[in-house]
Amino acid sequence: MPRIDLPQGTLDLLILRTLALEPQHGWGISERVQQMSSDVLQIQQGSLYPALHRLERRGWIKARWGISDNNRRAKYYELTKTGRLQLAAEQDTWLRLTAAVAQVLGTS
Amino acid sequence: MLSDLLFRLRSLLRRRAVEADLDDELRFHRERQLEKYLRSGLTRDEAIRRVRLDFGGLEQVKEECRDARGVRPLEVLVQDMRYAVRTLRKSPGFTAVALFTLALGIGANTAIFSVVYGVLLHPLPFRDPSSLIVLNETTPRVGTVSVSYPNFLDWRAQSRIIPEMAAVYGLSFNLAGTSRPENIHGLAVSPSFFSVTGARPVLGRIFNASEEKAGTAPVLLLSYRLWQSHFGADPNMLGRVVTLDTRAFTVVGVLPSDFRWTEQADVIEPVGVWATGNSSAAERSERGDMVVLGRLAPGATLGQARAEMEGIAARLSRAYPADNDQFGVTLQTLRDAFAGDIRPAILVLLGAVIFVLLVACANVSNLFLMRGAGRTKETALRIAIGAGRGRIIVQLLAESFVVAFFGALGGLALAAAGINAITRLMPMDSLGGAEVSLNPAVLLFSAATMVASMFFFGIAPALHSAKTNLSSDLRQGGRSFSAGEGQNRWRTTLATTEVSLALILLVGAGLMVKSLYLLLSVNPGFQPERVLKMELSLRTAQYEKDPAILNFWRQLLDRVRALPGVESAALGTAIPLTDDHWRTDITVEGMPLPEPGSFPHPDVHIASPAYVSTLGLRLLEGRAFTDTDTETAPRVALINALVAKRLFPGTGPVGKRFHLGPPSPGKAPKWLTIVGVVADTRLYGLANPSRLEIYLPYTQAVSGGMTLLVKSGVEPAAITSTIRAAVDSLDRDQPIYRVATMKQVVEASVSTRRITLILLCLFGALALLLAAIGIYGVISYSVAQRTREIGIRVALGAQRSDVMRLVLSQGARIAGAGVAAGTLASLALTRLMSKLLFSVSTADPPTFAAVAIGLAGIAMFACYIPARRTLRVDPLVALREE
Repeated sequence: MPRIDLPQGTLDLLILRTLALEPQHGWGISERVQQMSSDVLQIQQGSLYPALHRLERRGWIKARWGISDNNRRAKYYELTKTGRLQLAAEQDTWLRLTAAVAQVLGTS
Repeated sequence: MLSDLLFRLRSLLRRRAVEADLDDELRFHRERQLEKYLRSGLTRDEAIRRVRLDFGGLEQVKEECRDARGVRPLEVLVQDMRYAVRTLRKSPGFTAVALFTLALGIGANTAIFSVVYGVLLHPLPFRDPSSLIVLNETTPRVGTVSVSYPNFLDWRAQSRIIPEMAAVYGLSFNLAGTSRPENIHGLAVSPSFFSVTGARPVLGRIFNASEEKAGTAPVLLLSYRLWQSHFGADPNMLGRVVTLDTRAFTVVGVLPSDFRWTEQADVIEPVGVWATGNSSAAERSERGDMVVLGRLAPGATLGQARAEMEGIAARLSRAYPADNDQFGVTLQTLRDAFAGDIRPAILVLLGAVIFVLLVACANVSNLFLMRGAGRTKETALRIAIGAGRGRIIVQLLAESFVVAFFGALGGLALAAAGINAITRLMPMDSLGGAEVSLNPAVLLFSAATMVASMFFFGIAPALHSAKTNLSSDLRQGGRSFSAGEGQNRWRTTLATTEVSLALILLVGAGLMVKSLYLLLSVNPGFQPERVLKMELSLRTAQYEKDPAILNFWRQLLDRVRALPGVESAALGTAIPLTDDHWRTDITVEGMPLPEPGSFPHPDVHIASPAYVSTLGLRLLEGRAFTDTDTETAPRVALINALVAKRLFPGTGPVGKRFHLGPPSPGKAPKWLTIVGVVADTRLYGLANPSRLEIYLPYTQAVSGGMTLLVKSGVEPAAITSTIRAAVDSLDRDQPIYRVATMKQVVEASVSTRRITLILLCLFGALALLLAAIGIYGVISYSVAQRTREIGIRVALGAQRSDVMRLVLSQGARIAGAGVAAGTLASLALTRLMSKLLFSVSTADPPTFAAVAIGLAGIAMFACYIPARRTLRVDPLVALREE
């Protein structure tokens, strides 16, 4: 299956969703997204980190340094309480959006 | 929102750690990615290439992360500041001049504003002070006078717009029981004073309504200051007994430390205590030293209150013609009562310092423009390698900010010193007890001044710098000769403005100088040289009878006259240029009787025989008092020249008779025979016209409070202590107070004018200096710019004098335009200071002419110095330079 570039605004949602499972570092997030989407979605690695820093500034995620599975220092991100609420809200919006789009496409 | 700000701040403050973290984070990612590719079997080179491809430009990602952290704008600002400080330190001469100029401007503003704030803006320590008003009575014969107590009672009963009123009486007391007998000041107030003002004691109680009636027990509130200084802030002060004028008062409270009144108030007693044994309280004709404090009803205006009160006063005038004929009422806000007549001086000075600041800003702006011209290449280069014009402007404004900031710091230091000097020069009572200091409100003003001046002097140079023409500027190699036409015009305008502002200030100062000179050359009617004055007040019980008082005065005069070095000693009650006055109606024998409010109403002096000679009053006719004018001798009086002229026109007044007060039917009048005429004195200040004055011998009109005048060749401090010893030998409990030489009395009467004059002259000189520097700068810059042109002209055979004339004419245009604009503006502005001037028109032609000519001369001299440089231009060198 060919890969699809991420539509505008979905990166934040994917990051939040991934972090909802467990705290993860940046590389882990990009791997997990690719994996969960069966390799359809690939995050532009260059845009991942600015997004993480932006989410951190908004207070949706927070960062701490930890030890990775290969025993190296890595920066782990996890969801905050507001981040969880934000995820729920954005997820809901997204589902309604896609359902609506699908409905429109289906009627033609 | 807050966490967002904290996050940005942390990123900013811990910049290095945050950057290192970012590096680590990105490196970790790339390493993991590399491992992944290696594991999938790619060669090392290919894997590295793929990682780079996936990731994109590392620096760009970092930059985006920094943007995402939201610290960029702040970071840039900090960078700009650092850069600004560095570049400013590289040109210390420019920086020093700019900083010093601004420090002077901001310092002067801060110092004057601290006075404005303390006197006019700082909230009075009362509840809702803006609706508090002060009422006085007025009469056409005198002007504003005190209120009679029965009239106050009627006002209070009748007014609806001023539902709450309180009488406030000014008093003095002898305070005994402390180390030295002392004269203190106090108030007697209606109990409602506290409900009107909302003032509450820090200790004890306020007065209750029953204490308004005469016969109430003597109780007292102490001022915080007196409580601290005389009673060691005794926490058990309530119930303690304090002796005033040998009367025992029970202390019932202590006022808060911020309490203040328009006059000094060390103690406050209820009006009922004052009225006890004081017959004048019930007399409608008695107008002592009382004002009425009132609070306007909610929503009411001063105008409405005035209209209502005028109606009430008119009714009272009709109801009691003997005591109230022609008496009206005048109202002012409490704030105005506090500020007194110092307000116009303060406002004029505030205007003056704002002008000084404008001149300073114009100068600094010119400096920046000159510097900007020298940095054209630098700016062009920055733009060429991608800096936006906005960035260039912000960066130059950062320099302005740094200069303004450190200028303001210097200004605060100058202001602190200035405030010190001003409060020492200004008589504190003229400031109404206001606190003048560098308080938060004043600091806020300084900060605002700093920001305003930063934009004022910084915007134009910044905009000009950004208007660079890339190709030509880079080609020309950044010589300082490439300033555009627009910039030169702007610099000329700034210099012209400086000249006109300086002219306005100098005209103001000149008018003040002339006023004060004329004022001090007014003949006060007496000779102040070598005369010392001090006051005594016999209020204690042993002086209840006139003979006792007289005995004290006689012995005092005898002992003081016998002191070594004393030429003469005298007693009087109304010393010219001081505040003590007593006026009364008089009836001249045989004159047609006027309406009750139109009787001649002279100021009355009670004086000992040597009064006329000690004070150096000129005797015009007849004789002065002598020792033969005893209490049993025929009753006599002196009059002044104005009384002679008004009441005895064309006839010799000596030998004529008059009596005090209006005729009282059924009683034989106590006639006074005029024995002499003395010259008029300036009783109410040098600027005020003379009034009717009569003099009564101290033996025939006995007063317990008198001023001792001593003429001697001895130094004042030394003679004061020997006099104090003489008083002590008579009565140890008698304080002497308000000791001053008559010279000091004259000085004090013009002190507000003098300090205004000193400050205006200072500001004028400052503006003049800055304007001269400004015009010098413009001309020398223009000479430097035109070196090549001058070289060519000289090479082509122009006379050096022609060239110099060319340069000087540019300066003359600036000076001429500045003087013309300044003169026009002065004509409009000096009108605002008319209240400060004395017998000088606000458009006084000699002052205007002298200032204009002087300023033009100095401006031309400032041009001449750089213009001379054209004489030294060597055409060969000038041409080669380009």
